[in-house]
Amino acid sequence: MSDVAISARRLSPGTKAALGIFARYGTIIGLLAMIVTFSILSPAAFPTVGNFTNVLNQASLAMIIAGGLTLAVVVGELDLSIGFAASLHGILITGFVVHDKLPIPLGVVIVIALGAVIGLVNGFIVTKIKVNSVIATLGVGTILTGLAFAYSAGVPIVAGVPEAFLQLSLGRWLFGIPNNIIVMILVLGGLWVLVERTPLGQEIQAVGGNAVAARLAGVNVDRIKILGFVISGMCAALTGILLASRLGSGTASAADSYLLTAFAAVFLGSATLRDGEFHVLGTLVGALIIAFGFNGLNIFGAPTFSQYVLQGAILIIAVGMASLGRSLAER
Amino acid sequence: MAAAFTRGAPQPGGAEMTVPLLVARDIAKAFGGTQALKGVSLDIAPGEIHGLVGANGAGKSTFIRILAGLNHPDAGRIELDGRRQEIGTPQRATELGMSFIHQELAFVPGMTVLQNIMLGVPKKTRFGLTDWRAIARDVAPIAGRVGISAPLNASVKGLSTAEIWLINICRALVRKARLIVMDEPTASLAAGEAERLFAIVRDLSASGVSVLYISHRLDEILNLCTRVSVFRDGRSVAELAGDALHRPALVEAIVGGAIRDTQRTATARARGGVVLEAKNLTRVPKVRGVSLELHAGEVLGIGGLVGAGRTELARLLFGADRPDSGEMALMGRPYTPSSPAAAVQVGLGLVPEERRAEALFLSKSIAFNLSIANLDRVAFGRYLPLMNRRARTSMAGEMIRALSIKARNASTPVGRLSGGNQQKVAIGRWLQRIPKVLILDEPTRGVDIGARTEIHRLIRQQAEAGMAVLVISSEPDELPELCDRVLVMAEGRIVRELTGLAMSRKAIVEASYVEP
Ligand SMILES: Nc1ncnc2c1ncn2[C@@H]1O[C@H](COP(=O)(O)OP(=O)(O)OP(=O)(O)O)[C@@H](O)[C@H]1O
Ligand SMILES: [Mg+2]
Repeated sequence: MSDVAISARRLSPGTKAALGIFARYGTIIGLLAMIVTFSILSPAAFPTVGNFTNVLNQASLAMIIAGGLTLAVVVGELDLSIGFAASLHGILITGFVVHDKLPIPLGVVIVIALGAVIGLVNGFIVTKIKVNSVIATLGVGTILTGLAFAYSAGVPIVAGVPEAFLQLSLGRWLFGIPNNIIVMILVLGGLWVLVERTPLGQEIQAVGGNAVAARLAGVNVDRIKILGFVISGMCAALTGILLASRLGSGTASAADSYLLTAFAAVFLGSATLRDGEFHVLGTLVGALIIAFGFNGLNIFGAPTFSQYVLQGAILIIAVGMASLGRSLAER
Repeated sequence: MAAAFTRGAPQPGGAEMTVPLLVARDIAKAFGGTQALKGVSLDIAPGEIHGLVGANGAGKSTFIRILAGLNHPDAGRIELDGRRQEIGTPQRATELGMSFIHQELAFVPGMTVLQNIMLGVPKKTRFGLTDWRAIARDVAPIAGRVGISAPLNASVKGLSTAEIWLINICRALVRKARLIVMDEPTASLAAGEAERLFAIVRDLSASGVSVLYISHRLDEILNLCTRVSVFRDGRSVAELAGDALHRPALVEAIVGGAIRDTQRTATARARGGVVLEAKNLTRVPKVRGVSLELHAGEVLGIGGLVGAGRTELARLLFGADRPDSGEMALMGRPYTPSSPAAAVQVGLGLVPEERRAEALFLSKSIAFNLSIANLDRVAFGRYLPLMNRRARTSMAGEMIRALSIKARNASTPVGRLSGGNQQKVAIGRWLQRIPKVLILDEPTRGVDIGARTEIHRLIRQQAEAGMAVLVISSEPDELPELCDRVLVMAEGRIVRELTGLAMSRKAIVEASYVEP
């Protein structure tokens, strides 16, 4: 009864289904393809437990800060202060431990609390004074950089860093798994449960999905947004602490570049599994793609600049393909 | 299926002799696993006002999205002027002389009226620049003809839905469309505005423009259309014209059987004490000194024209805006909600007017959308703040059944539902919570006749159980049908109170135009 194949341009249902799958799983497929390719090209160096542990260990700090950023973007805001904040936190913790001789746990607690306060400030500026979050967090971040230089007088704190502090990041725990990885798993796991499996997480998703509707459904939108910034700030603090421990020094600007890596991971993540939405699991996949990409290039001795080119290109291609695939599959 | 099938019956105006403007045959379309259209056919003669009706989710909007080139059919054939056409893109649809006014109105808030009218229309240029002055000269008479009262260079921000609708009509006329498709045009218009719309539609038809008119309001359909196609579950099930075109036949074709019209029991039920009280509530310019008392167990209607300040009043009562002056009391205690969250805490609920912008999370599931105002009920417990997903799914399942929401399951994203089914989700959220006071702003907009009866029944049921319900509606028939008492608002004031037999369509419309 019906005429079929009306147009050559028309996509068959099969093609559409395939495109839909590609839009959702493209990044994961890409990640696996990358791992397989590197494994074939460099069977001795790449696919080893040691190398994988190493990649994860390296990537953990970026994953933690990206996990925090995910919360800020899930509630519909951007947090550009995280890299600068992490740098300041690194200096502070080193200063507390080296100069003030504070017990390490106390120092860690103070710095993380400070991270929460920075998040609170960001959140207040955005929700109460109603400054656009890009501007607000860029402003706060710049101020934090200034504070970092003021505190350290521009000189890295290197001398007298106690071994116990270095062990925060360099140590291993359960089954010899590096501490960084354990902390990362705890943080991302906790954030995933918070967002996906708690009533509070429902409110968080609602605010990001449609803030007007969330407000009229009785959600306290400002409070949820502030919470997003606070979590982002606390994760930045954690990354700052672990980085200082890994480097064995507190250096102004040491963590600044984590901002870009975190954004790349978060946006790559939004092209994963869900149609353009930010979520914690996606961020994890995004961070893994970047980490394995860098590692592979390192093993092949590719120059540093190519790593940046790679990071930028992967981001654009992955997000672009996902949205293209999605819109074709929808028609 | 006992509906009269009168395809091929003589058409008024001798249209059977002319080549139909548009012919669609056996159009099918699936979205993922949902077969939205299984095979629909329809043809439209030049200058005809053709009606299209069907229950929520029957496939009406999908069909016109295909005509508009927004979706591609999986199978079927479309002809214009007897020639087979591939529509493919919205641009092509425009070239073919079709213009669309979709269910969810399209406009760009940051632009002027004129810019919105000219959206996507090739524009006159002068020295390579868009010549807005000349364009304005050309557009002004058309804007006058459809009755756009706002100046062409005004921003569309703050214009009413009706005015935005007129802008869309105007755009169609500027493009010299031969077929204008209107998806539920009167859903957000008040009585007076609807009359003006009908006049415009008849005028278009007289000048040879065809109109495909989709609506759930059967009176309008009967009033305007010469032929009506009925869709049910993605198929064309009837085409009614001439003597066969009457209300019972339409209803039967739409629902596929007779509908049980719930008769209102005329006996006034005993209403409870005052739950919510407002005194001299004012927020200029829209609300000016409104006083009202809402009792437990009553359904209080607020009628009036769009723009009379009813939505703004609802927002004040719900804490979404702060009043300039005036007082409110809830259960006899002073009530000064600082936010909707605070209002919800003390037992209020609001179904807002614009479901997509103000009520729904389109990419999220039905279960998510229903549970967002009921989170305390989906937690495992106070000391275990984890979400009980099974409880959430089963609660959603109950609502889906109670409101007969047409969806595959509770995890279907709300954005994939048809307009009417989205509205049911927006209402279901609050029916689940059972607040003390429920405010519904245009609760049955875009809802089909079966579901409308069902929503009315649920509202009455809640009121009987003691809830205080405030219903805002621009549809003059709805309030007398549903309410115990009606207040009519005009220009920010309450101008009339109607009770018992005095509540009638006529009385409400008359009072709406009263100079306060
Ligand atoms: N993008 C989509 N993805 C999946 N399903 C869809 C999509 N769009 C529509 N549908 C489904 O197709 C069916 C027909 O929907 P459609 O919007 O055409 O109904 P309608 O007749 O316009 O209803 P209403 O009167 O409520 O507006 C519905 O079951 C709907 O859920
Ligand atoms: Mg529709």
